[in-house]
Amino acid sequence: MGWGETLFRSKVFIWILIVLPGLYPAWPILRQDPTVLADPLKYLLHHFGFVACILLAAVLSLTPLRVLFPRWRIALALNRHRRLVGVSAFFYAFIHLAFQFLHEGGWPTFFTDIRKPFLLMGMLTFLILLLLAVTSFNFMVRWLGGRRWKNIHRLVYVAAPLAAFHQALAHKLFPVQVLWIFVPVAVLEAARIVRQRLKPAAAPVPAPSRG
Amino acid sequence: MRIRTPKEWEIRESAVTPESVYRLRNRRDFLKTLGLGAAGAVFLRSRVLGAMAGLPAAVNPDYMGAGLKVTPYELVTSYNNFYEFGTDKGDPVVEANKGWKTEPWTVEIAGLANNPGKWDVEDLVKKMGGIEQRVYRHRCVEAWSMVIPWDGFPLRKLVDFADPKPGAKYLKMTSFADRQRDDDAGFGGPYLEGLRLDEARNELAFIATGIYGKPIPNQNGAPLRLVTPWKYGFKGIKSIVRMEFTTREPFNTWQHLASDEYGFYANVNPTVDHPRWSQAHERVIGGGVFSGRQATLMFNGYEKQVASLYQGMNLRKNF
Repeated sequence: MGWGETLFRSKVFIWILIVLPGLYPAWPILRQDPTVLADPLKYLLHHFGFVACILLAAVLSLTPLRVLFPRWRIALALNRHRRLVGVSAFFYAFIHLAFQFLHEGGWPTFFTDIRKPFLLMGMLTFLILLLLAVTSFNFMVRWLGGRRWKNIHRLVYVAAPLAAFHQALAHKLFPVQVLWIFVPVAVLEAARIVRQRLKPAAAPVPAPSRG
Repeated sequence: MRIRTPKEWEIRESAVTPESVYRLRNRRDFLKTLGLGAAGAVFLRSRVLGAMAGLPAAVNPDYMGAGLKVTPYELVTSYNNFYEFGTDKGDPVVEANKGWKTEPWTVEIAGLANNPGKWDVEDLVKKMGGIEQRVYRHRCVEAWSMVIPWDGFPLRKLVDFADPKPGAKYLKMTSFADRQRDDDAGFGGPYLEGLRLDEARNELAFIATGIYGKPIPNQNGAPLRLVTPWKYGFKGIKSIVRMEFTTREPFNTWQHLASDEYGFYANVNPTVDHPRWSQAHERVIGGGVFSGRQATLMFNGYEKQVASLYQGMNLRKNF
């Protein structure tokens, strides 16, 4: 086993990768970066939304990587962590939503503003991620049955474009980061579909991760 | 005997806090708000121009900003929207101070004016008959706000100097042209803004050449910029090179970028939302995570001075 494979198989390593972006905002706040301190809430809101989008794109790219490169051991190693990455995307989205709630200053404005398509799509994304997180436990997989569980978890293919739409509207002008986060995963998914059409027998059936 | 009724925003001269004191107080409050204690706030590399005529300015007692808490200088000069120098708020303080020359600077008066021509900015400012300081609220269309002590002169003085012809209805203002920067910003040309002539003559409309009694830093729009405190911040065109009197309503840059979201008037109005977010509240810059939110006021609190300009207009349509 190469060191890369050992590293990416390691649960501890993946945990560190996932937790670090959550600690990152401490850095500009500690060194008193005036641009961040000017509106810290906005900064935190955008930062956690950004991390949630990256993790959502990351978890979606794991299965296509395995299908497209079945002999690439790092892709296989990474696929051990699908549940962890997926649940952490939900967790960052939850923190993002909590900051949005603070940003809106409470329930009354939260509920009037949620009607705007930009915020509504963000909320829908969150609700889908919530459903997927709740059904991510092993006993939920058993209780629902594999097929039904898989169908529910296909909702992630709805959540991702919604998240991209939401992120694209989050700034005054179109933020280019949306493209480098979501275009690669779209390309991977497209390549995977083509691959599975061409060689249906060779394609492994994506099974729920037991991580 | 003439009895002078003080205007409603006036406070007595004796009640005025000397500038040095309020600056100290705000610096301290700022650090306290952050709860991060001892370390001094970071003064960023805001390259300040050589002395401009008339600075520091005497404070206009009508605009002392009674009851307003001035935003710390560090934040006013490091949290900027100036897309020619990058779309992140922290970009302009760095990028606009990498050799961008705002001295010397020429301003052109053009169009339907009896006194057209090109002026060196320092000469033009001298012709305006002195600099004054005014504390204004500043409300960005992105729902954040500041309170800024501007130094400069009323735009009305410049309009009178230009002496518009009877047919002139609008004042169109253009920022400096730099093809690369304008393309990077996505503008497709220099930044453009405009006002109706009666708006330009309103007592609030102001041309700033300084902030906090110092020459205005590059990232805030050196050497001179528009300040219209009852309108969203994007109306306040920075680094003006041309003022043209026209008969037709200018098509400003943000209308060009997204006309369904940004209009010509851009008056601060808590009852007319941006399509993507509410305008009913604003985040106070420097207010921290939990205490930085307040209700937005109609015309940003300047209803008395400007509401008459828009009588009978549908402000939902003319947003």
